[in-house]
Amino acid sequence: MESTEHKHPNYMAVWAVLFVMTVIEVGVAMLSHIPRALLVLVLLGLAIWKAVLVAMYFMHLKFEPRRLLFVVLAPLPLAVILVVIVLQEFPG
Amino acid sequence: MSHAAADAHLLEPGAGVYHKKLGMWVFLASEVMFFTALIGSYIILRFGAAESWPVPSTVLNIPVTALNTFILICSSVSMVKAYAAAVEGDQKRLRLWLLVTVIGGATFVGVQVFEYTHLIHEHFLPSSGLFGSTFYTMTGFHGFHVSMGVICMTWVTIQAFRGRYTRENYHGVEVIGLYWHFVDLVWIILFTIVYLI
Amino acid sequence: MTTAAVHHEAAAGGHHELSFVRKYIFSTDHKIIGIQFLFMSLFFLLVGGLLAMMMRWQLGYPGKAVPGGGVLPETMASGGVILPEFYNSLVTMHGTFMVFFAIMPLLVGVYGNYLIPLKIGAPDMAFPRINMASFWIAFGAGIIMLAGFFATGGHAAAGWTSYAPLSARSDLSGVHMGQVLWLVGLIVLGLSSILGSMNYITTVVNLRAPGMTWFRLPLSIWALFITAILVLLAMPVLSGALIMLLFDQTLGTHFFDVSAGGQPLMWQHLFWFFGHPEVYILILPAMGIVSDIIANGSRKPIFGYHSMVFAIGAIAFLGWIVWGHHMFQSGMNPMLGTSFMISTMVIAVPSAIKTFNWMGTLWRGNIHFHTPMLNALAFVSMFVIGGLSGIFMASTPVDIFQHDTYFIVAHIHYVLFGGSLFAIFGAIYFWYPKMFGRMMSERLGKVHFVLTFVFYNLTFFPMHFLGMTGHMRRIYDPTQYEFLRPYQGTNRLITVGAFLLLASQLPFIWNFFWSLRKGAKAPLNPWRDNGLEWTVPSPPPHGNFATTPTVHHGPYEYSSPLTTDDYLPQNQEVRP
Repeated sequence: MESTEHKHPNYMAVWAVLFVMTVIEVGVAMLSHIPRALLVLVLLGLAIWKAVLVAMYFMHLKFEPRRLLFVVLAPLPLAVILVVIVLQEFPG
Repeated sequence: MSHAAADAHLLEPGAGVYHKKLGMWVFLASEVMFFTALIGSYIILRFGAAESWPVPSTVLNIPVTALNTFILICSSVSMVKAYAAAVEGDQKRLRLWLLVTVIGGATFVGVQVFEYTHLIHEHFLPSSGLFGSTFYTMTGFHGFHVSMGVICMTWVTIQAFRGRYTRENYHGVEVIGLYWHFVDLVWIILFTIVYLI
Repeated sequence: MTTAAVHHEAAAGGHHELSFVRKYIFSTDHKIIGIQFLFMSLFFLLVGGLLAMMMRWQLGYPGKAVPGGGVLPETMASGGVILPEFYNSLVTMHGTFMVFFAIMPLLVGVYGNYLIPLKIGAPDMAFPRINMASFWIAFGAGIIMLAGFFATGGHAAAGWTSYAPLSARSDLSGVHMGQVLWLVGLIVLGLSSILGSMNYITTVVNLRAPGMTWFRLPLSIWALFITAILVLLAMPVLSGALIMLLFDQTLGTHFFDVSAGGQPLMWQHLFWFFGHPEVYILILPAMGIVSDIIANGSRKPIFGYHSMVFAIGAIAFLGWIVWGHHMFQSGMNPMLGTSFMISTMVIAVPSAIKTFNWMGTLWRGNIHFHTPMLNALAFVSMFVIGGLSGIFMASTPVDIFQHDTYFIVAHIHYVLFGGSLFAIFGAIYFWYPKMFGRMMSERLGKVHFVLTFVFYNLTFFPMHFLGMTGHMRRIYDPTQYEFLRPYQGTNRLITVGAFLLLASQLPFIWNFFWSLRKGAKAPLNPWRDNGLEWTVPSPPPHGNFATTPTVHHGPYEYSSPLTTDDYLPQNQEVRP
C-alpha cells in the first residue's frame, strides 16, 4: 500500500534553517522601533514558514501522497474563517 | 483472525498510507481545531480589546523560553533521526535518538514548570486579567500535550529497547514522531504569537 | 486488551475462547459496541423524554403539583410543585441529554459503528480498541452528566447552549458544581466523539473492499463519513470553549467576564461555530439512512445518486459559514447579520435537492409500506416542515420576532424529532433483524408509528402558532404574562399531546425487548436489500465476512433489468 522507497531529506540542514529563523525572530521582536503592523507580519510569516518546514520535512508531507495533504489543509480555512469573522465584532 | 484480513492488499486504494499514519494525521487535524479555539480566542480577545494588554516581554521570560523553543526543535530533530534509524533497522541509533527525544521533551516540560512557578511567585496567575487567563490556558494545554507525548515516547522507547521495531515494522515510531512534530509545530506558532508579538 | 490476549486470539484463530466480559462488556467488535451505544442512548432518550414531561406539566398546569412529584427533593419541587430554578435545569438537561446523549450517539455511535464496516465489506473498524475506548469514555461522560442532578445548587441551568455570563458566574446563577459537572461531562464526551470520528474516517478511506469505489458507497455511509469529518473538526472547538468556561468557573480566569475585559459574545461565536455543524451532524446520517430505506421500500434506485452525494457535501461545507444565524439578536456586528442570512438561505438548496430526489425515488416505485419505510416517509415530510420554518427564521428581520419564541422550538423539534428521530426509529426497525437475529413485530411497529406520528404532530405543530403570538422559550409560567394567557389552552393541548406521545413509545419498548427473545428468527435478508450486511448471517459473526467480498455494482440496483429479482446485492455478479 505504501512505497518503501525512502528519500531522506537533509534533516540537519532543516534544523539549521529553523535555528537561524528562530534567532532572527527573537531579534526582530526586540527591535521596538519598527511599525507594529510590519512586526506582526514578519513574525507571523517567519513562524508559518518554520511550521511549514516542520510539516514538509520532519513530518514528511513533501513525500507523501497528495491526498494526505487534503487532510492537513482541511482545518486551515476553518481556523481563518472563525478568527476573521469574530474579529469583525471589534472595531479596534 | 478471519480470512478476510489476509486480503488486505486487495482493498480499494485509500489514502495511500497505512491505517495508523492516516489515523494520526486525521487526529492531528482535530488538534489543529482545538488549538485554533484557544489561540484564536487569544487573538480575538487581545486584538479586539479596548484597553491594551501588558507587553509580553515585560511579564514573560523571553530568553529562557527562546532557549526552550530551541530545545523542543532539537527534540524534533532527534525524533526524525530516530525515525530514519528505525526505517533502516538501526537499533542502536533508534534507541539513542529516542532517548534524546524523551530527555528533550521532559526538559521542555521541566523548564515550563520552572517558568510557571516563577510567574506564580511574581503573582502572575490565571486570574491575573485576560493575559493571565489566555497565557496559562494556551501554554498549559500545549504543555499537557507535550507531557502526554513524553509518556507515549517513553513507552515507545521501552518497546525499542525490547527490539520491537524493525525495518518491516517501524510504524509505531513514525506515528509517535508525527504527534511529536505537531506538538513542536504548535509551539512554534504559540511562541511567536504569545511571547513575541 | 493486553498483548497476551491479542496473541491468544490470533493463535486460537477465532474469538469463541473469549470470556463473557471480553465478548460483551469490553468488546472490540464494532457490532457489539454499536449495540452498547444503542442501549445507552435509548436510556438517555427516555431520560430526556421524562425531563420534557416535567417541563410540559409545569407549562400546562403552572404551579400545580406534579403527580408523584412528592418523590422529588424540596430543592427541585416544593411540595411537588416544580421550582423555577429546577425548571431551568429541566430545560437545560432536556436539551443536553437529547442532543449529546441520545440523537448524536444513536446516529453516529450506533449506526456509524454498526453499518460502516459491514456496508463497506470490512472485518471491523481500523482501530477496534480505540473504538472500545470511545464507547466507555462516552459512558463515563453520561455518568458525570447524571451526577449533576445531585450537586448542591442543582444541575446546570443555563440552557443547553450555556451562554455566558450566566453559565460563568455562580454568584449570578446560584449553580456551581452542576455547571462544572456539565462542562466536564461534555469535555469527556468530546474526546469520545473525536476518537470515534477519527476511526470512522480512517475506516471508510482505507478499508473498503475491492470494487467498493467511492461512488458505489451507500448514501448512509457517505453521510456517516462526511458527518465524521464534521465531528472531527467542530467538536474540538466546543472543547476549547468548554475549557475556557470551566476555567472561568474554577480557576478564576476571565474569558467571559466583562468586568475584566472578557467577551460573553465570544462564547456564542465559539459555541455556534461548533453548534451549527453539530445540527448537520444530527441530520446528515438520518438523511443517509432514509435514502437507503426509501430506495429499498420503493424497489427503485435512488434518484440522482451523484447529486445526493454532492448535496451532502454541500450541506457539510456550507454548514461552516452559517453559525451567526443563531445570533441575529445577540448584538453582533450587523454586517455579519447580512452575510449569515445569505449563506443560510443558500444552504436550503442542497436540502431541497435531497427532498426532490427522495420524491423522484418514490415516483412510480413499487412501494412497500413496511415499518422502516413508514418512518422514512415521515422523515421526509416532517423534515420539510422543519426546513420550511427554517426559511422564515433565516431572514434576519423576521428572526427579530421569532428568536427565542416557540416558533424556534417548533423548528428544532420538527427537524430533530420529525427528522432525526423518525429516521432513527426507521433504522432500528430496519437493522434490528441483522443486529439481533430476530424480527420485530410489524403490527406493533405500525401501531407505534401511527401513534407516535399523530401525537408528535399534536405536540409540536401548535408550537408554530404559539411562537407567532410571541410566546417565549424557556419561561417558567406563561400565565405570568397577560398577553399569553389566552393561549394557555394551547399549552395544555401540547402538554396532553406530549404525555400521549410518551405513552405511544410503550409499544416500541415492548416490541424491542419482547422480540429479543420471542421474535421470529431473522432470515439473511428480510428486506431484500442490496447492502453487503445482508449477505452475512443475522447477527454476523466476528470478522463479518468469511472471505472479503468483491463489489460489482452500486448500492441501489433495485428492479434492475439485469436480473429477474427486484434487487441485486452489491457483491452479486450478474450472469450475462
